[in-house]
Amino acid sequence: MKRHELAKNFKQVNTSVTKIDAMQLALGKDSYVADFLPKDALVIKMLWSPHAHARIKKLDVSKAEKMPGVKCVLWHGNVPRIVHCTAGQGFPEPSPYDTFMFDNKVRFVGDRVAAVAAETEEQALAALEAIKVEYELLKPVFTLAEAMAPGAPVIHDEPEAHVPIPITYEPKKNLVAHVACEAGSFKKGMAEADFTFDETYETPYAQHCPIEPYTSMAQMTPAGRILITTSTQVPFHCRRIVARTLGIPVQKIRVVKPRIGGGFGCKQEILLEDVTAMFALRTGRPCLWRFDREETFRTGRTRHPFHIRLRTGVKKDGTITAIALECINNTGAYGGHGLTVVSCSGGKTLPLYHCDNILFDGKSYYTNLPVGGAYRGFGATQAFFAIESLMDHMAEAIGMDPLKFRQLNHIRPGEGSPIFQALGEGREGVPMTVGSNALGECIVQGAEAAGWEKRTDWRGKTGRYRRGIGMCCLMQGSSIPDIDMGAATIKINEDGSFNLNVGATDLGTGSDTVLAQIAAEELETATDKMIVYSSDTDMTPFDVGAYASSTTYLSGEAVRKAAADAKRQILATGAEMLGLKVEEVHCEDAHVLNADGSKKVSYSDIANYSLYQKNQYQIIGTASHITKKSPPPFAAHFAEVEVDTLTGFVKVLNYVSTIDCGTAVNPALCEGQTEGGTLNGISYALTEEYLFDEKGKMQNASFADYHIYSMRDRPNIKAILVPSYEDTGPFGAKSVSEICINGPAPAIGNAIYNATGARLNEFPFTPEKVLAAIKAVKK
Amino acid sequence: MKLCEFVRPASLSQARASLRKLGPKGMPLAGGTALHFMPGKTPVSAVDLTHLGLSYIRQKGNFFEIGAATPLSDIQRYRGPRWAMHEICRRISTHQIRNVSTIGGNICRVFPWADLPVVLLAMNARMVIYSGKLKEMDADEFFSSQPARLFRNGDLLTAVKIPVLKAQHGFGSVKATRNAAAFSMVTIAALLELKGGVIAAARVAAGSAIPFPKRLRSVEAALTGKEPSAETFRAAAALAGTDAKWCKQEGMSAEYVAGLAEVSIVDALERAAEFARGRTA
Repeated sequence: MKRHELAKNFKQVNTSVTKIDAMQLALGKDSYVADFLPKDALVIKMLWSPHAHARIKKLDVSKAEKMPGVKCVLWHGNVPRIVHCTAGQGFPEPSPYDTFMFDNKVRFVGDRVAAVAAETEEQALAALEAIKVEYELLKPVFTLAEAMAPGAPVIHDEPEAHVPIPITYEPKKNLVAHVACEAGSFKKGMAEADFTFDETYETPYAQHCPIEPYTSMAQMTPAGRILITTSTQVPFHCRRIVARTLGIPVQKIRVVKPRIGGGFGCKQEILLEDVTAMFALRTGRPCLWRFDREETFRTGRTRHPFHIRLRTGVKKDGTITAIALECINNTGAYGGHGLTVVSCSGGKTLPLYHCDNILFDGKSYYTNLPVGGAYRGFGATQAFFAIESLMDHMAEAIGMDPLKFRQLNHIRPGEGSPIFQALGEGREGVPMTVGSNALGECIVQGAEAAGWEKRTDWRGKTGRYRRGIGMCCLMQGSSIPDIDMGAATIKINEDGSFNLNVGATDLGTGSDTVLAQIAAEELETATDKMIVYSSDTDMTPFDVGAYASSTTYLSGEAVRKAAADAKRQILATGAEMLGLKVEEVHCEDAHVLNADGSKKVSYSDIANYSLYQKNQYQIIGTASHITKKSPPPFAAHFAEVEVDTLTGFVKVLNYVSTIDCGTAVNPALCEGQTEGGTLNGISYALTEEYLFDEKGKMQNASFADYHIYSMRDRPNIKAILVPSYEDTGPFGAKSVSEICINGPAPAIGNAIYNATGARLNEFPFTPEKVLAAIKAVKK
Repeated sequence: MKLCEFVRPASLSQARASLRKLGPKGMPLAGGTALHFMPGKTPVSAVDLTHLGLSYIRQKGNFFEIGAATPLSDIQRYRGPRWAMHEICRRISTHQIRNVSTIGGNICRVFPWADLPVVLLAMNARMVIYSGKLKEMDADEFFSSQPARLFRNGDLLTAVKIPVLKAQHGFGSVKATRNAAAFSMVTIAALLELKGGVIAAARVAAGSAIPFPKRLRSVEAALTGKEPSAETFRAAAALAGTDAKWCKQEGMSAEYVAGLAEVSIVDALERAAEFARGRTA
């Protein structure tokens, strides 16, 4: 049996069970933060900065405080001035502490100025209008070139701005982060090349667009603690950061995450909870703050735009002799995730292809534009656009099929890369060799499904509508090794059901279901015997949260270990009840039995025995897990497009998304993630963009003007799960959710080239850009 | 604006009386989708038109008559001889919006991105207005400027009459959008009448990329008397800039939008010619 076929023996894992919250959500039962709003809750509204860069000279809230229904107004004059970082990352964060609850300076259009809590939304909005603000306008910085220029306006001139760990941070130069490494000698590699390339690429802003906008509610408990019910991916980081920002002990705060209407990374940020908590503390009333869509666009986190310079060298035989990837991201007005996103642009991409001489240089700069944050794909999305575009370019130069060029060069099982160790997140990474890797099979199956063999050169194509096929290869990671930690507890009940408590955060991904399947597989019972509770900082064990493609791989292994711990206790008690030695019994189908099955006792009987009858104790398993590896999922994507050469409109006709995510714990959910991530990426490649006016204000902050793909735009997407087996993951699993968004931009870009000969180094591929590129080819 | 009161009249005359009494504070309400684009806090009283029997589509003689409160989804689903309105309706916004948004609401207050005025201009539609009695107005007059001007004294649009296309007539429309639910970047509609192998008459209208929908008279003139060929269409479309000043939008330059409009005019004309030659709509 091949290793990946191990998954066929599983009973709960590798099965498409229905999501455990499906009925609850389908029936519209109370599930989300705003569903739990007490009748006496106050409504919070924020006065946002209309200026990109300004100092607040005077702020008068006296009239607002006396307005009808107004219970409290917060501004920089009446809250603690505690510098912190809003990024929900491990502690200490690899990000600058550059944010205050309220400051006397605003740094982008949409920055906080003052907030009101009132009985009704109308009263809160009326009070905002009564707040008088006098600004001293400062010269704004809108481009990377402006940010990097000598003598550029300093966006963070406050003395408190600092980094909590020893990493490069020079706020006086607007420099948020700098990370660099070299393996081999790039210079030597370029000298060995037959062809050399030097290209620049630009990638755009984008918004996560979760259906549920940022929403947070805080209320005081009878014991005088603050209960924060919030739409977050990181409940434990939220508790820690709110405690710091308010200057109160962690002990005073409980964070509860109910169901979440999507996050995609944007809710890995603590953007609302400090204010809701402060209002609850000041008023003693429940307080709800919910962004509208415009606020989500303007103030919510975004994908960092990147400027990328990529230089490579290649021999005629297809050997890549040198790669220099230089990435600069625009992190906007605050620096959370600036370093880690730029690090991942190298760390999650450069190991994909063999090359002895690799240079990476990543920088992150402040500007007075919306703030970058975590977003599905996290740096790899941007860098893969450059790398995979240039892979096609190189293949053409040496006269090799781009598919064969990738097959020749991609990383194999058992191979490592110096990049794994060189680029971590805020510190050195860990040395790693790739275990599971079905990329070769992904390419083969994807090519067959996409009809790659029928692909022809663009030079022979005529007519107004021209079709082309493009491809790319991808990798990502599964959790952050040696940094991220997940934990779980599992206890048995009288009827043989189990309470599975996890800090892991299901944000709509189905991770509660996946974790239940893993626990059930280990315990040899049914998934529907699991009662999953996530996540609650009082009630569930710690978990870093849902990010870095970690939940299945990291939290899943914590769950498997906790289940194994409980199973050991079940076996011991079962053996005692049967009068046998532990070595003589095993678990099967929710029973403990002897080898021939002649003696057996059910989990229910075991629970009742242990709880009520003899040698009583609670059967409860607990475990924590950190990883030493971040095994990459791999993918090969293929896009077939039709380009209207008169208008520049691009239509994706077919898209093949293959994925090696190890064992697919729940194949239907994996396919859903793959299709969703792919459509997310197609939308990002073709239509999504932030349009700013000359003052740095986003002009298209609504779904009427910011175009995301819906089901009506969905092309034919074929998701193919290509199995492998990752020994370090729970039942062979690794991650699935992030990688899929990384493919469409390069695959579609390569397909446009194959259709028309037009090579675009910048997306979204708007009709105007595509048409201009086509006209340039004709010249 | 802010809805403060809701009036449900039992008849057209009651509705008109209510609106006249309310004056500027009164607002006829059908689908209500336009409210989203009317910010501000001015208090208004809504006069509900949804229960006045104005939701219907029927063929009467040489016209299809569409009640003013007919949802776009009904127009999308309707089929009649040489019926062509469904094509543009299925391209407007989303299913959910089309289920409530009405033809009257779409054309009585014209937003820059509106598609139906473009189509009705090309179709030479007639609007039926109730002002104590019913009167008709042709599309050219109705859309000569913002139609809201016609309803300030409480008058109401009751129906839209679309001419039934004859055998030699062909209609085509093009709506260029960034994705399925997006507002139009350019909307073009064309009606051609072919006789003896030449274009006997043409009505071509544009919208979205210009401040207000309008007919492209230079394009129409260039088509009349010519053979319906690709060359004719391209030559006529090249004159569109004489009639319309195309605006930049959605991050794209005016120059690009002008080129897109020209291509869209040609496409709409080709569809119209194809329709006239016998394609089933």
